[in-house]
Amino acid sequence: MTPKHTAVKAALLGSALAMSSAAYAQEIKIGFNGDLSASPSAQSGQAGVLGIQAAIEDINAAGGVLGRKLTLVVRDDLSQPPKSIQNMSDLIDNEKVVAVLGPTNSGNALAWKHIPNQKKNPSIGCIGSATDITKPASANAENYMYRVSMVDRAQVAGLIAYTKNNPITKNVGFLVETTGYGQGGLKDLQELAEAKSLKPVATEKFGVNDTDMTSQLNKLKSAGVDTVLVWAQGTPIGQLVRSMEKINYFPVTLTSWSSDNASFFDTAGKTLAEKPIFMRTITEDRTPKQQQLYDRLAPKMASKSAFSFAAHCYDALMITAAAIKQAGSTEGPKMREAFDNLQAPVEGIMKTYYKPFSATEHEALTAADYRWTRWKDGKLVTYTDDVVKALKPADFTQ
Amino acid sequence: MDVYLQTLLSGLAIGGVYALIALGFSITFTTTKTLNFAQGEFIAFGAFIGVTMLLLLSGLASTTTAVPSEAASAWRYPAAVIGAGAVAGLMGILIFLLAVRPFAGKGGMNWVMSTLGFGVMLQSIGLAVWGPAPVMVPSPLGDDVLRIAGAGVRPQELLVLACAILIMAALDLVMRRSRIGKAMMAVAHSPQTASLMGINVSLVMIGAFALSSGLAGVAGVLIAPIASASLFMGMGFALKAFSAAIIGGLNNPRGCIYGGFILGVLESAVGLWQAQWREIVVFVLIILVLAFRPAGLFGQAAVDKV
Repeated sequence: MTPKHTAVKAALLGSALAMSSAAYAQEIKIGFNGDLSASPSAQSGQAGVLGIQAAIEDINAAGGVLGRKLTLVVRDDLSQPPKSIQNMSDLIDNEKVVAVLGPTNSGNALAWKHIPNQKKNPSIGCIGSATDITKPASANAENYMYRVSMVDRAQVAGLIAYTKNNPITKNVGFLVETTGYGQGGLKDLQELAEAKSLKPVATEKFGVNDTDMTSQLNKLKSAGVDTVLVWAQGTPIGQLVRSMEKINYFPVTLTSWSSDNASFFDTAGKTLAEKPIFMRTITEDRTPKQQQLYDRLAPKMASKSAFSFAAHCYDALMITAAAIKQAGSTEGPKMREAFDNLQAPVEGIMKTYYKPFSATEHEALTAADYRWTRWKDGKLVTYTDDVVKALKPADFTQ
Repeated sequence: MDVYLQTLLSGLAIGGVYALIALGFSITFTTTKTLNFAQGEFIAFGAFIGVTMLLLLSGLASTTTAVPSEAASAWRYPAAVIGAGAVAGLMGILIFLLAVRPFAGKGGMNWVMSTLGFGVMLQSIGLAVWGPAPVMVPSPLGDDVLRIAGAGVRPQELLVLACAILIMAALDLVMRRSRIGKAMMAVAHSPQTASLMGINVSLVMIGAFALSSGLAGVAGVLIAPIASASLFMGMGFALKAFSAAIIGGLNNPRGCIYGGFILGVLESAVGLWQAQWREIVVFVLIILVLAFRPAGLFGQAAVDKV
């Protein structure tokens, strides 16, 4: 090959590369990886994607970020951890997304949380609530895992605070399901209760598919339990309140947020569904901004109770866009620095975020942003009583 | 006192379900010496056939996760039970012809894999048709708790118990008194001899699979208002029912029924002590039974006369 030919080829190759990178430069790709079809929680994933799409529309309408438009690349993980891991590599390595939002199931985030850290590509959770998702791999390790959603441990802190400050509570009981979710909740319950010197008089367990918990409830009853803290999924909590009715025993019932699921409501029935009190980020009493987004997305949303995830994911995208803007770049390490030290406030659906994250705090929503909730006439409404009114942020310490 | 009554009632209610499915295991085992390991999927399939029938018959639309309560009123629920039993029975014939007959009576355990595989297929078809979400099914008798001497029970639980006892009594009568029953017992004893006596052996075997699968379908619709219909509901029940059949004695239909009730009450009673030890207690009992009475608590040790 003559030098001349080589020079021509190099020039051609160079211009081709320049063209492809110019095409690439036009758009900033954001990924979503989560269950959209396979498990009952798929509805949460679908709502999340709607929220992200709405946020991208709004940002692009205002001219995009760094003069470039945003686009969304969606991958369904079918709620399977191996598929979810594969999707992460596909999104980051092949699609070259600058950040990944999701996933739907906490377990999948726990399965791949090393990937965003290794590839220095930020991940912003907006659905799953497992406490450990945003924990750094080691004390001072660079942490690319962020979240704009509920956190299990913060909910537990709320339930413990309520119990501790309720003057009528004399004897507390814990009641959890035997799955990983229930056991993780029990660990948080026990640790935070001990920190607040709250001693349960009974701890009982039930299976996720059980239909009758009267034996466990009778034990709590004979131990004199007047307040029960429940950590389980929606359907078994529904069976639990049905069993309460069988033995006509209704202690104060504080539960994990799974009681907001339609599956809980359908299992418990309209009347019994009103028994548990739990924490959630959005109730039917929506703020004007929330109502605006709700009206915009409602025609496309299969499950209305999943709206909270649309709002979380909308905000997650807004915060991501703000981080790219501040970093002036889509390089992971620069974005991480911007995430950890966001200067401009971010107008979101849940609230206006002032410095939502720091080097050590990777949760944008904390217990103070949650609302006490219960079912009333088939709707999720804000719950309040004297105990709730008297709760101070200091009571929620974890 | 009412604590123990509650435990007994709750245990009998769930035990009735176990007994019904355990009976299905026993029927195919005694006639063909094979088991239908897709029994769990037949329960779930039956439940969804029931859901579909309730909706079609009432002309009501379902929300994504619940069937409206009017859909189960009057004659519709019994019709759905019978319909689900019939459809599951037909599927039972299919599983026998496709997955059991080619392997039955031959050495090896091919039918274990083929019936398991049939179950996987059934579940995949179900997922494609009905989706993964559980569906709450209303009880035809309403949902108000009934009080019996201080213990509470749902009408549907009593209905399941009553249906289980009724179906089992009827089957017991048929097996012991009628010609069909005697033919089934003859096939169970020795297919060759039965064939020489002029009994259509393969027809009896088909009948046994149809009956056993039909029972699973009926059980599905009966359980759905208690546990809610889900394509994943059957596995747990089928495993417990199989345990009940082992405890009672697989080759003794009556023993399987007793086994079902014993298991239900045992589970409920262990819950009064330490609920998380329930499965351990159940399987320790199975190991003990297998060690000391391999034919089951109520089974007769088979004596091969040569």
